[in-house]
Amino acid sequence: MKAAVRIQQEDFSQDEEIAALKASSQRIGGIATFVGCARDFSEGRAVSQISFDAYGSMAVLEMSQLRMDAIEKFGLLDARLVHRICTVGPGDNIVFIAAGAEHRVAALEACRWMIDELKARVPIWKKEVTPQGDSWVTAHP
Amino acid sequence: MIDVLFFGPVVERTRVNSLQIPFSPGMSLQSLHDALAARYPHAFEIVCFIAVNEQQVRDLSMLLTDNSEVTFMAKFSGG
Repeated sequence: MKAAVRIQQEDFSQDEEIAALKASSQRIGGIATFVGCARDFSEGRAVSQISFDAYGSMAVLEMSQLRMDAIEKFGLLDARLVHRICTVGPGDNIVFIAAGAEHRVAALEACRWMIDELKARVPIWKKEVTPQGDSWVTAHP
Repeated sequence: MIDVLFFGPVVERTRVNSLQIPFSPGMSLQSLHDALAARYPHAFEIVCFIAVNEQQVRDLSMLLTDNSEVTFMAKFSGG
């Protein structure tokens, strides 16, 4: 089974990730997921590609800590985080987050919290490729 | 030696992704920061976070040890 926290070039399978989460505990009654994908428009400009750079070893450490924090904070039974580090086109998957809990409220709140924390805490940077040139994204709305 | 790393938007401004800086006893994170900021002022305009050996550090008075890995990072934008 793949690790619960990963950065990788290749796309991920949501079905495989959810199956892995379910396999971790039969007490799970609710699973919330978030999939971040590439847009073709940003800040008033067309975007043809997005490329990512990461401080890989620290990113995995921080994502692992974030997962443990979420499990403790929301009483989750398990959680998974996968982020792609590569160049993607519009519509391509970027990040997958899943939270498994006994009930839906904890799962939903934890999923929202994890993507917000990932954007603030994990050393990953995205660069948008546009007709006007390339630019690194500095905000994380 | 101190291994210095840069990523993403900072690399775009430094034009190098790593440096090796000779270690000297009593060397602080502040002194390393100031020396590199003088060398790469445009890059250090966007440095928001510093990590030492993969742990984020806010206290620049921290003394470095030989073979430390220090990373100067811009605001994150993953996800």
